[in-house]
Amino acid sequence: MSLLSQQFGSQMVNLGSALLLLTCFAIVAQRRLSACVDLFALQSVLLAATAALVAFLTGIHHIYIAAALTVVIKAVLIPRILKQVVERLNVTRELVMNVNVPASLLICGGLVMLAFFITQPIIPLGFLLTRDSLAIALAIILIGFFTMIARKKAVTQVIGFLVMENGLFLGATSAAYGMPLIVEIGVFFDVLVGALIIGIYTHRLQDAFDSVDTTKLTTLKE
Amino acid sequence: MLQAVMLIVAQTIVLLAVSPFIVGLIRKVKARLQCRRGASAFQPYADLAKLFRKQPVVSDTTSWIFTATPYILFASTLAAGLLVPVFVSQTPLNFAGNIIALVYLLALGTFFLILAGLDAGSAFGGMGSSREAIVASLTEPAMILSIFAIALTAGSTNLSTIVHKTALLEGIVTDPSPHLMAFAALFIVALAETGRVPVDNPATHLELTMIHEAMVLEYSGRYLALVEWAAGLKLLVFLTLIVNIFAPWGIATSLAPGALGLGLAVYLVKVSGLAVVIGVIESMFAKLRLFRVTDLLGVAFILALLALVFFYVLRG
Amino acid sequence: MMLLLAAVLVCYAAGTLLPPCLPGRPKLQNYLAHGLACAAGLLGIALGVAGLVAPEPLTASIASTIPFLSFAIRLDPLAAFFVLTISLVGLAASIYAFGYVTEFYGRCSLGALGSLFNGFLLSMTLVVMADNGFFFLIAWELMSLLSYFLVVTEHEKAEVRYAGFFYLIMTHVGTAFIILTFLIFFQNTGSFSFDVFRHPNTPLPQGLRTFAFFAALIGFGTKAGIVPLHVWLPYAHPAAPSHISALMSGVMIKTAIYALIRVYFDFLGGQFPWWWGFLVLVIGAVSALLGVMYALMEHDLKSLLAFHSVENIGIILLGIGAGMIFQTYGLKEFAALGLLAGLYHTINHAVFKALLFLGAGSLLYATHTRNMEEYGGLLRRMPWTGFFFLVGAVSISALPPTNGFVSEWLVFQSLFLSFHIPSIFLKLMLPLAAAMLALTSVLALACFAKAFGISFLALPRSSHARHAGEVPVSMRVGMALLAVVCVALGIAPMVVVPLLDRVIAPLAGVSIADKVIALDGWALAPVNVEFSSLSSPVLALLLVALSLLGLGLVAAFGGLAKTRHYKTWGCGINLTPRMEYTATGFVQPIKRVFSTIYQPTVKLEAELLEESKYFAKRQRFEFHIEPVFQKYLYDPVVDFFLAMADRLRVIQAGNLHLYLTYIFVTLIVLLLIAM
Repeated sequence: MSLLSQQFGSQMVNLGSALLLLTCFAIVAQRRLSACVDLFALQSVLLAATAALVAFLTGIHHIYIAAALTVVIKAVLIPRILKQVVERLNVTRELVMNVNVPASLLICGGLVMLAFFITQPIIPLGFLLTRDSLAIALAIILIGFFTMIARKKAVTQVIGFLVMENGLFLGATSAAYGMPLIVEIGVFFDVLVGALIIGIYTHRLQDAFDSVDTTKLTTLKE
Repeated sequence: MLQAVMLIVAQTIVLLAVSPFIVGLIRKVKARLQCRRGASAFQPYADLAKLFRKQPVVSDTTSWIFTATPYILFASTLAAGLLVPVFVSQTPLNFAGNIIALVYLLALGTFFLILAGLDAGSAFGGMGSSREAIVASLTEPAMILSIFAIALTAGSTNLSTIVHKTALLEGIVTDPSPHLMAFAALFIVALAETGRVPVDNPATHLELTMIHEAMVLEYSGRYLALVEWAAGLKLLVFLTLIVNIFAPWGIATSLAPGALGLGLAVYLVKVSGLAVVIGVIESMFAKLRLFRVTDLLGVAFILALLALVFFYVLRG
Repeated sequence: MMLLLAAVLVCYAAGTLLPPCLPGRPKLQNYLAHGLACAAGLLGIALGVAGLVAPEPLTASIASTIPFLSFAIRLDPLAAFFVLTISLVGLAASIYAFGYVTEFYGRCSLGALGSLFNGFLLSMTLVVMADNGFFFLIAWELMSLLSYFLVVTEHEKAEVRYAGFFYLIMTHVGTAFIILTFLIFFQNTGSFSFDVFRHPNTPLPQGLRTFAFFAALIGFGTKAGIVPLHVWLPYAHPAAPSHISALMSGVMIKTAIYALIRVYFDFLGGQFPWWWGFLVLVIGAVSALLGVMYALMEHDLKSLLAFHSVENIGIILLGIGAGMIFQTYGLKEFAALGLLAGLYHTINHAVFKALLFLGAGSLLYATHTRNMEEYGGLLRRMPWTGFFFLVGAVSISALPPTNGFVSEWLVFQSLFLSFHIPSIFLKLMLPLAAAMLALTSVLALACFAKAFGISFLALPRSSHARHAGEVPVSMRVGMALLAVVCVALGIAPMVVVPLLDRVIAPLAGVSIADKVIALDGWALAPVNVEFSSLSSPVLALLLVALSLLGLGLVAAFGGLAKTRHYKTWGCGINLTPRMEYTATGFVQPIKRVFSTIYQPTVKLEAELLEESKYFAKRQRFEFHIEPVFQKYLYDPVVDFFLAMADRLRVIQAGNLHLYLTYIFVTLIVLLLIAM
């Protein structure tokens, strides 16, 4: 592979990761629950595309399988489950948050910078092709975590969790050109089961408290 | 020297001539998407001509600020337009001001428009002025940061230099990520600054929603004509800025007549294309509540910040 | 030049000493005091210019019998620049004062007022020229005390006394830190001479340097009004008579900027770790943003202007902080640019803030109120004052082609050049500071749109405003002078930059005038014409030409048909001032968006009609913003000291013999220690 096309490939991988990061911010700024789910699906598609690009550029084939699984599970199955949950709920948008949207955005901007500073020393050690994505992957994980803190509704918290998982996948792809396939499949299975359980849990929450606001759970302690 | 003056005059004429068309085009696109036939895209020219001939009515309570504002607004917006390369990548007035000067020239117009809104003494004008003040305040940081991110990729804050270098693809950083984010940020900023949906609705006359229309409510006749023309110019300046910074290809990089002709044609196609996009966006989205605009502009700010981070960090 | 210097000092001194000798003749006292101040101002401008272009600094010294004190004066370009600024604003303020102080005839002693005015100007001039630490402190203390007396001119009002008291305490806390700064240098060198500070035999150890940095920052920062030491400023500056407010906000706080530059770049030799510059930058950014934000919520015109002083000091520190950071990394040209931007903004702010305060004074003179909500429609009643105030408002909002724009543009450029810094952290932080500056300047625009729009436009909101008339000629001349300077500094940066370069070159170690002035003086190009350029004269010409084009288009397309004048549409009823937008209403969206910072408390009480709850008889609306710094920073400190004082009360018995015993015991202890 010539140096120029390698640089071009690296830029494309970066672009894919950057778009992934943008969808994170879109999720943070979005109040409508169904749109959050759609954005998560979009993020998963972008993740699959980036992974496929890495597979194409490096010639490591098992990443293709992981990419395909990503599309099937995270872009189709899980969003469908979450959509069903959202449809059953009596709320379509999240009006009250622990941290309001502009502040969340600023905090997430800070998290991105933090991620970049933290990965600074290890970035030059990575593969040329994907090393910059590691910082973005860490940023996505942090933002996913923050979303779980900042939001109150169970659905958005699930999305935060799934975003974290996406970040982990991107990190694995960029830092190590993917995990072994068997681990990958195991993780996918875990996530799917996790999403199913959380879906059922959300239904129970809805039935018990007539709301999916997880702050209501504090009333359980008595 | 003569050549420079001729280029400036030509650019002035192009900006003045094209801006009403862009306004009309957006209206036309919106009409078609709403399954109406709509007025011709050239209707704004007729509107302007009619307004110029009408006798203006000026409120008793106003001062000279009210009658001077349309001229100041018109001059400052057009001056900002002359700093932007339109169909030639190297504008003669490149040295007169960089992109910060452009921002502040537009702010000069905004300042006087806010004053004019207060001058008539009606609550509508005051409301418009007050809202314009907050929207302008929130767009500015995003605008400066996105501009700076672009400036970094070309190593210059002078618009002609940025456009010229990008058009020739020489001496610039070609990584797409910062460009993409800066583009998204600047696009949101442009929508907010020019009073388009989802920040303001140029077609509304409902006091609860209007911003720009409320400020200029008391204007009529030739004054309204100038204000409307300036609003169109501002829109065109932003569209020109965006298309020429992010996709300058086709712009005349030399002063050969052929290149100039091609540059002009490509320019018209590009800004018309972007105007159609704006028309589509206006049809797809509803106007945001005033206090939700902060969310949108927060996104723009973060995008601009990310553009900067990406530029620095990904380049090592 | 020596003669000029002597003449300036003599004029001020005469202005200080003579007026009280003519008791009971206020008119004569007025003319004498302000005439002498005018003369001193004119001579001071000449002295400043002469000092700027002189090849060698002017020095003079009178030895004294007190150890370590000598009345040494050194007029290097840095001092000359500040002398020029002080004299310029002093000249305008004294012309203005001829008319303005007629208000005070019979209310307070004109002799005292005129004498303090001259003394205040004299002490500021001496502060920037002093070349001895001891002498500097005397002049500094004199400046603080005289300004305190001026603040409490109208001491019959309780809030004025409170403002004065607050100011006195804060300024002395500051002075303590300044003394500490000089003691650090003294301890190292054994002398109070600035010359020895500059070239010590043994360099200051790093720990003490850091100590000196902080002491100077706190000490001078208190006077400059940096956040969080700014709390006194919005009380003290508005309480003084307006021409004094102009001096305090315009130039007195600039002496602190002078001293900071003197200490950091001159005494400490421009050698600092990166975080010093970064700290100054952060303080600058925070001061700028918070200053303008609190100004927005202020509806007392003079308090609003005082908060804007905090903002502009912030902008100046942004320039200086950027300069310090560049200095650390050896980027001398950029360091010089940062200083250039900071100093350019210093003189600009002096001019437009003085202009605005004089304008506010005129409004006070004409309407006898400072509350903006009682103004309105004044542009028609006071056309000149209105016009000058507008010039000031456009300048402070940094709109082209005025001076504020040019200097803020330079600050932006110096922040943008941060991509040359190797540290990636600073690379990201400086553009963020630029974004904060952008937010600041647009909020300032909003604030002055409010200040001008609510005060001067639409219908009068009270009978005060309805019966207002134009102010006397001398007041208009004073404002006109500053307005002209505002525009001149804006469109002629090619004249200003070389002069400032003479100030900066010795500090930054490099001259950048020929690089910054590009294209035969037509454009400013901060270090590199490829990177950025600005030509404010061309922009000014362009604006005029295009306005004429607009007029031409109107004439060509429809002709300048006669305008019909008619009432404003008020939805079917006649427009009254009560229907206008108020200043409070104007800033309501801003208050709401930034409610995290303001923490507003809103109280709405309605007295409803008995027949229906939908109609209110009376409504009361009240809103306050939380003075965060006072509440969380100052109140605990004050409480602590009060508690300590309570404890110490035990030794206060009121018994004379007990006090004598205290003194006696102290004496014995001291003697023992001395052994």
